[in-house]
Amino acid sequence: MTAVENVISTRDLRKSFPAKDAGRKSSGARNGPAQKDPERKGRGQKDPERKGPDGQKESRRSGGGRVEAVRGVSIDVRRGEVFGFLGPNGAGKTTTLRMLTTLLPIGSGTATVAGFDVARQPKQVRQRIGYVSQLGGADELATGRENLILQGRLYGASLAEVAPRATELAGLLDLSEFAGRRVSTYSGGQRRRLDIALGMMHQPQVLFLDEPTTGLDPQSRANLWDHIRALRERGTTVFLTTHYLDEADVLCDRLMIMDHGQIVAQGTPRALKQQVAGDAIVISLRPGEHGTENAVPVLAGQPYVRELAASDGQVRLYVDDGGTALPQLIRVLDAGGIGIRSISMSEPTLDDVFLRQTGRSLREGAGDDGTAGSEAKEVAA
Amino acid sequence: MNTAWDVSLLFRRYLTQLLRNPVWVIVGFSTPILYLALFTPLLRHLAGSGGLPTGNVLDLFLPGILSLLAFASGIGPGFSTIFELKAGVIERFRVTPASRFAILIGPILASMLMMLVFDAVVVAVGAGFGFSVHWAGLAVLAVLAGLLMVTVAAWSIATALVTKEISGFAAIANGLNLPVLLLAGVLLPISLGPAWMHVLAHVNPLYYLVQASRVLAGGTLSGTAVWQAFAVLVPLCALVLTWATRVLRTAVA
Repeated sequence: MTAVENVISTRDLRKSFPAKDAGRKSSGARNGPAQKDPERKGRGQKDPERKGPDGQKESRRSGGGRVEAVRGVSIDVRRGEVFGFLGPNGAGKTTTLRMLTTLLPIGSGTATVAGFDVARQPKQVRQRIGYVSQLGGADELATGRENLILQGRLYGASLAEVAPRATELAGLLDLSEFAGRRVSTYSGGQRRRLDIALGMMHQPQVLFLDEPTTGLDPQSRANLWDHIRALRERGTTVFLTTHYLDEADVLCDRLMIMDHGQIVAQGTPRALKQQVAGDAIVISLRPGEHGTENAVPVLAGQPYVRELAASDGQVRLYVDDGGTALPQLIRVLDAGGIGIRSISMSEPTLDDVFLRQTGRSLREGAGDDGTAGSEAKEVAA
Repeated sequence: MNTAWDVSLLFRRYLTQLLRNPVWVIVGFSTPILYLALFTPLLRHLAGSGGLPTGNVLDLFLPGILSLLAFASGIGPGFSTIFELKAGVIERFRVTPASRFAILIGPILASMLMMLVFDAVVVAVGAGFGFSVHWAGLAVLAVLAGLLMVTVAAWSIATALVTKEISGFAAIANGLNLPVLLLAGVLLPISLGPAWMHVLAHVNPLYYLVQASRVLAGGTLSGTAVWQAFAVLVPLCALVLTWATRVLRTAVA
């Protein structure tokens, strides 16, 4: 056996669910790429398809009354990296994760994890992986330490072997102080760290984290990121799913962007952002002057504008070099009599990558940043 | 990895969880006592009239309570399965190399131990009020009650895994509760009912336990009802356990 440089390797992984089953979960499943269905975007977060943490919730309806949740995922995760799986809720991330962790039978395709075939050698795989679901799953009526000890012993270790490991992990994840308290008294961040410690008890080669920071306050999130980085430094491969752009950006060595069960982009955060050439410029137009309708043809006509997306009173566009483009843009808008309220320039984010690949924004429905969502709607239209 | 190890770990875990839940302990202990306290006075007046045989009503009624406890103790694990499913506990265990059978049977055996403790309490209290104790018969009855309890528990856990929601599971469990109890002759003998009830009672596993329990509590170890109960419950228990382990193995939980 080679030293398994790829800790996880899948080829054309697929999974579908009976339509009646999936229908209950994914009333929003529809055909066709997102760009061709502008109406759906307009519904934003009300779309039932976008609800819920479960990866099975959204997918494509195919022939034969089945819904495809994962449609041909091929990935290679190298030893010792933090690999991210970025996508909106219901993109198929959790379903993929559940197949890789032996929780869900593989539909078709192959998956090798830690050197073993997931379908044929699930026991060997389980012995070598840790998995932290979105739900966590610690016993509330037990103390943190009791949870850790039981978890370790379920992997066949004796109490004598497990006790020092529990102490070590409690220290590593800042749990020592309250390891003797019942889990029901823990805060969200503390509980999350315990969940991760549970997944690490048996020193797995690879740790799967499903949406590890969902529901945490910003401080706890940043704290958890530090802990995940520390795990990597100690040689653990971390495979995580997230729908947070910043999380994928700062935490992952490499990532894969998933949408509707398919991989839409793959690479390092840096390389992905470089795909979206140059800089992103957002121009807010003065209200009540038909700003958008007038501005779009003018701006789209500029040769240095690579891509453009518009929404009510706002135009977002991509240029190779923001520094030279900015004065020219102001000049043409001014010449066209179009009033500018504000203008800002930024390096592309992973959201720009997602927007470019899918025609939609990941921020859609995020609430605090609603503009991106309506923007995507216009792009689609 | 050996299954017995996993079973012992998961058995102890579940038992600890049960005992740390004060509401559960109080309700668990008070229910059988309440049955005794509230039903016995009613039955006392029925004795000698209607279809009931004369004699000590407790001798007739107490075995029924033990059978009832076996059935009720089997439904409990289904409810905790729904809760553990929602809390991610089942998934956490399923991703470990622990034996699937152990994940199923560990909590069942813990619940069974609690059932036997409740049984002992009921017998002790009943004995104080004149129930005649036949130890050998009660020991065999404990085995039969255990078989039924394991069967019902495995069924309820598997059903909980399939339905996934408390509403669906509760509807099924409650819907079955009344017909199963009535058609078992737990509280009132089936002999009071028409012929079609006798027929239906024979597809009810609890019926066989109730029939055997009255014979065994009377001190007879080798009655037809006893052999019938074993003949029905042993294969049924094996069948349901196999099915439930399968569900746990593949559950899209």
